Amino acid sequence: MTARFNVVACGDDALTIRCGAGDIRHSLAQHLVGFPGWTQIVPGKIDVTVAFDPHTERHGDAKARLEAALQTVDAMPPPIARKHVLDAEFGGEAGPDLPALAARLGKAEEQIIHVLERQTLRVDMLGFTPGFSYLTGLDPALVSDRLANPRARVAAGSIGLISGQVGLYALEGPGGWPIMGRILTPLFDRARIDPFLMAPGDEVVLRRASPA
Amino acid sequence: MTLHVLSPGVQCTVQAAPRAGFRHAGVPSSGPADPVSMALANRLVSKPASAPCLEIAFGPASFRFSQAIQIAVAGATADVKAGGHAHPMHATLDIAPGDTLEIGPAQVGARFYLALAGTLQAEEFLGSASTYLPAKFGGHEGRALQKGDVLQLDAANRVPKLSTPAPLRLPPMPGYALRVVAGPDLPADAAAWGSAVYHVTPRLSRMGVEIEGKFPELGGAGMRPSSALFPGALQVTPQGRGFLLLPDGQTTGGYPHVLQVIRADRHLLGQLRPGDSVRFLLRTQAQAEVDLHAKQALLQAWLPDFRL
Repeated sequence: MTARFNVVACGDDALTIRCGAGDIRHSLAQHLVGFPGWTQIVPGKIDVTVAFDPHTERHGDAKARLEAALQTVDAMPPPIARKHVLDAEFGGEAGPDLPALAARLGKAEEQIIHVLERQTLRVDMLGFTPGFSYLTGLDPALVSDRLANPRARVAAGSIGLISGQVGLYALEGPGGWPIMGRILTPLFDRARIDPFLMAPGDEVVLRRASPA
Repeated sequence: MTLHVLSPGVQCTVQAAPRAGFRHAGVPSSGPADPVSMALANRLVSKPASAPCLEIAFGPASFRFSQAIQIAVAGATADVKAGGHAHPMHATLDIAPGDTLEIGPAQVGARFYLALAGTLQAEEFLGSASTYLPAKFGGHEGRALQKGDVLQLDAANRVPKLSTPAPLRLPPMPGYALRVVAGPDLPADAAAWGSAVYHVTPRLSRMGVEIEGKFPELGGAGMRPSSALFPGALQVTPQGRGFLLLPDGQTTGGYPHVLQVIRADRHLLGQLRPGDSVRFLLRTQAQAEVDLHAKQALLQAWLPDFRL
């Protein structure tokens, strides 16, 4: 039953469950939160990695405990996905790379915005910088490469696009993704207990804010 | 009372406990690059192992205090002077009001820790006062200290004068043999890793340290789907460059993760400086457990609240 998940060492204090891409990662991560002793639970693109305390648990014991926790995987419910409908501005100052992408794809800017708005995207994982969210589910026809020269400063809330993926910048910082627009809701709010709005597995719909 | 930064050295940040449990949101642990040296410094001023300290890269750095205070310095080998007089590292020092405390430059190693008998007021964020520079979290306004900064300290109590027991003074070295276990992307024919020697390049920060040398062929495309990484990971790029991650390192990455410095030896990474040599000693998981418990036992009596 668990044989389809290969558990491998990620150093002497972490274990990686190679479960493949897709929702199973989010189900697994949510399932494992319910067990004590995993000090970090980090979804990757095709896996979930958990850390344990090597002072109190041997590597082999942690691995056995993890494999036992995976026994019930077939009964795991689909991940609980919060849905965020996020108002956004596209193009202009908020999305400086939209015109170039439109020109390269031979489309109007409106058409690209329409594609971005039409689809329900899924937070595949967070990483790179705090709160940076990789969203999948984008029409693969929107072919886009990273910028040849990354920007030193990308505004918080910026919507990046590379082929097949949208990247949301929670914080201002450097960035190499072409920027299509900006979300008006803060993705990061220091006053919240969990200051990051996005979590792995969440669903996102981008909605064009009505012009002021 | 106040601490006045006269010169911060190459980089000076407030560091305290690691920031635990937010790697899934892309937030690294931060905290001291060399937590053993920080714990030793704090011990000399009767503070918990992860009480906020100043982490100073390379130096030379200098400070002044508005009132008398006791301090301690541990970490990279450096001259310490107060009021123009030389003082030892690894000992509780009395600093008179107005005296200038001068530390460094580092002769061997990269970072020293200045512990204070008063409590540094630092911004806590996500459960830790450690500074994370890329996102401007924690510490003093989320940034490195600058000349002219004035930090507030809570009143300092008198503490007993101590010095670090000799066996626990682990002086930084120009060459390291770091114990590692295989990373998830280490090729099966990994024997070639045994003897190679690498050197630290000038590309070094709290995020990671670049090492150069001959890495075995990794085969494949040279990239992998992004997966979790932790401090101590050795990643090798398709161009054959190696990066060892430190406490501010990224939480996920797509370069092959070939080795992982074991928990017991990760504190040493904070003292790597350009030109240092590095060898890797491949350990089994069982050996890594023994290594961790042995080093923990060595530190336990003097640092009862510290965990590697």
